[in-house]
Amino acid sequence: MTPVQIVEAILFASDAPLQAEEIAGADESLDEDIVEGAIQELRAEYDELERAFQIYELGAGYQILTRPEFAPYLERFDTVPRPARVSAPALETLAIIAYRQPIGRIEVEFIRGVSSAGVLRTLLDRELIEVVGRDEGIGRPLLYGTTARFLEHFAFRSLEDLPRTDDLPVILRERAPLASVPDGKSGAEETGSEPAAARTEDDGEMMGGNL
Amino acid sequence: MDLTTAPGAPPGEGVFVVELEPFQGPLDLLLHLIREQDINIFDIPIARITEQFLAAIEGMGAERLEDAGSFLEMAATLLRIKLQMLLPRHEGEEEEEDPRAELVRRLLEYEQIREVALRLSAAEADRARRYGKGYIEPRPERTAEEQPLEVTWAEVHAAALTLEGRRPPPTEHRLTARPVSIDEKIKLIIETLARVARIEFRRLIKPWGSRLHAVATLLAGLELVRRHAIAMRQSQPFAELWLYRREESADQREGKDV
Repeated sequence: MTPVQIVEAILFASDAPLQAEEIAGADESLDEDIVEGAIQELRAEYDELERAFQIYELGAGYQILTRPEFAPYLERFDTVPRPARVSAPALETLAIIAYRQPIGRIEVEFIRGVSSAGVLRTLLDRELIEVVGRDEGIGRPLLYGTTARFLEHFAFRSLEDLPRTDDLPVILRERAPLASVPDGKSGAEETGSEPAAARTEDDGEMMGGNL
Repeated sequence: MDLTTAPGAPPGEGVFVVELEPFQGPLDLLLHLIREQDINIFDIPIARITEQFLAAIEGMGAERLEDAGSFLEMAATLLRIKLQMLLPRHEGEEEEEDPRAELVRRLLEYEQIREVALRLSAAEADRARRYGKGYIEPRPERTAEEQPLEVTWAEVHAAALTLEGRRPPPTEHRLTARPVSIDEKIKLIIETLARVARIEFRRLIKPWGSRLHAVATLLAGLELVRRHAIAMRQSQPFAELWLYRREESADQREGKDV
């Protein structure tokens, strides 16, 4: 039996992504490099033979999945296990967490403009996000981050696969802390203490004008 | 800067009717208003948008109170910005910060998040088209036309015959099968329901597993329903079919049945 065959057998039998390291644990003849090599070999073979399936990278793991073009035939069987789709509010929340992790509930709600406790709970239940720590400050609020299952659900290899911000139509600079109020118009030049000072002045004048 | 927000300016053309339900929140609604009217996001006519925003949330029911809070908060923000823009500018100030800047920043950020959410959705759909291993159970075979249970005996009998007719040409194997009598099945049902108050149809036919037995059992059940000896219930097509013992007392107490 060759290492390639062993790797193939393990991947074939698994219904969840397996990491190279886990596969390597199956036999002493294997190590991570050999497993990775075997997977590349198998992938090429499946392509060449036009098999209906391929080995895909999901998160840090590998799994044999059918190729997308066979979906119409498989859709007929509603007993094929398939995770439910994520709702629109949950997708929005996931997007925020994916880019800004670790992030707390208050910040998520500020960005979305709506309360998000329920959505966060749903995402936690589905193990698409997890608590990754606690913030400093009052109440030490929980901070959330995405999980391996998040990567698997969207077929990302890593967070690097997320759409790059510079390839999005709306280009934003990094988010400033909540307290400061940056100028949306003139870009990032006006950082530092200057705007803050100007603003204090401004407020003083406003109050003077009103009273 | 510009004072397009003067109170005299007409607030948009007519009333802007917006359905709130599809909106995820106030930012979503604001973006919709801005995009719909081709407004430059860096130069939002705050008075007009505020009017439209307020008009939109006016129709919001109390049942969405939790969400309503976030919409009202935004309304307050808009009014504050409007007010700030109406305040006279003071002499000699250099570039004063536009009161709308923070809002614009939030809107752009939200728009970007929404774009990412769309892409996540596309990635999810793409992933969903690739299937992992899983046990694929054969779908239940389509039975003859679906009919409500209130049919005449003749119709059921005819339907059963059609069912038989649709089968592939019978093999010798099937021909030699032991004939199943409906009376036998009636006896089975009555005996079973004497022991238990109700039973799934599936369990009744399980020991034989042949379609002939299933048909005979169904016909027996229907016959008993007709005689008001038992009751049969199915919550929806293809759901589990249940046979119930029918007792005088229970019957009167519940006052309803098949």
